[in-house]
Amino acid sequence: MTRLLRFAAALLSVVLLHVLGVSLVPEFARVIDLFLVLTVLYAMGGDPLVGLLVGLAAGLCHDVFTGGLFALHGFADTLVGYGLARLVQRLVIDRVSGAFLVAGVASAVQQVVLAGLVLLLLPEPELPEPVWIVVRAAATGAAAAAVLLASRNLRQGLAERRQRRSQRLHLD
Amino acid sequence: MNERRTTWLLIAVLAGQLLLLSVQAPAAAAGGGDNFLESTVLRGVAPLAHLVSSVVQGGRGLGDDWRLRGNLAEENAALQRRVDELELEVMRLSSLESEVDRLSEALDYRQSSERALRVADVVYADHSSWLRTLILYVGDQPAVVNQPVISEDGLVGRVVEVVPHYAKVQLITDRAAAVGAMIHRTRRQGVVRSGPGGLELDFLPQQADVRVGDRVVTSGIDGIYPRDLPVGVITAVAHGEELFYDLHLEPAVDFGVLDQVYLLAPQPIPAEME
Repeated sequence: MTRLLRFAAALLSVVLLHVLGVSLVPEFARVIDLFLVLTVLYAMGGDPLVGLLVGLAAGLCHDVFTGGLFALHGFADTLVGYGLARLVQRLVIDRVSGAFLVAGVASAVQQVVLAGLVLLLLPEPELPEPVWIVVRAAATGAAAAAVLLASRNLRQGLAERRQRRSQRLHLD
Repeated sequence: MNERRTTWLLIAVLAGQLLLLSVQAPAAAAGGGDNFLESTVLRGVAPLAHLVSSVVQGGRGLGDDWRLRGNLAEENAALQRRVDELELEVMRLSSLESEVDRLSEALDYRQSSERALRVADVVYADHSSWLRTLILYVGDQPAVVNQPVISEDGLVGRVVEVVPHYAKVQLITDRAAAVGAMIHRTRRQGVVRSGPGGLELDFLPQQADVRVGDRVVTSGIDGIYPRDLPVGVITAVAHGEELFYDLHLEPAVDFGVLDQVYLLAPQPIPAEME
């Protein structure tokens, strides 16, 4: 239940940040995919079911903010979330640079899946420009790495504080 | 849940979404579409977008107020001059309008009734990414699917998804959108669509008279948009490979600065005419 609430809060934050970003910087949605950042961060936990469900929910939310067919991002993010979680079961991604790489590749895969779906389903589809695919992959990778680093530092800081406090208690 | 079950769940979820996508695809190609799942998610997410948009606009308003405080008197005088000019223009147009009415009466020509306009706030606008869209707050009176959306500068698009208080708009720059349009100077008709290089006016034969700078307006033949709404201006004229010109348009509307738009009351084609 707590996990579900935590995820709901994270998705809500992503929606708010996405809308805020687009309101302030018109190119925001073109440059970065915060919904995918959320999917990647959850999928990096290594549970394929979590990756699948988070990808589905985040992707469908993203679809509301895009034109064209509904469930395009839902499909792509589900696939990426599940695939990444399976990959993480086989790889150890401990460094922030690894997270950047994984999130960047996930973003590129997601955009290729989106383009493939659009090509398959629409008669005269519009496709993203290759340069924007690279920019978006880099930005999404950087955002995922930054969030991971920040959360790791926060966790480490909290652990150190707890340790100091327990040492003080022992001394007393 | 074990791995096998998760894999089956993945297959089911992907198949379900693929089915949903393929059901929508023909409707999207034909320019329509409205689905329950999208409405449900839009219903939950649109109020959040509205909240953020209100906060951002409030912040911008405060900043603008602060900036404008210094030159209020000067701006007031300029606005007063503009009001005087516009009053003269209104007088001139009123006399023209009554003249048109008199002539129409003499010719027994009945003008199409004027459509009511309703203001709607833009709560989310993404016009830059390749899947561009607009979400509007329409208030208590719901919008209607296919309702034309315009701004002071011209045509914006049409409503494609409606939930209480909110509506999603397909912009004319969307790949799936098509608008019946004509060159204002010559009344030559074609179809405005979005191509790789932006808006294009298709199906204009090469013997037609077209120039760079020609204004393009709606022709009113598509059953959605009324006649004479500005769509854009011709920016490039080239002879195409077939019988038609390759015409590029600059949209009349700057989609990047939309904060309020207008919903035109729908005027559907009578059922017996369809």
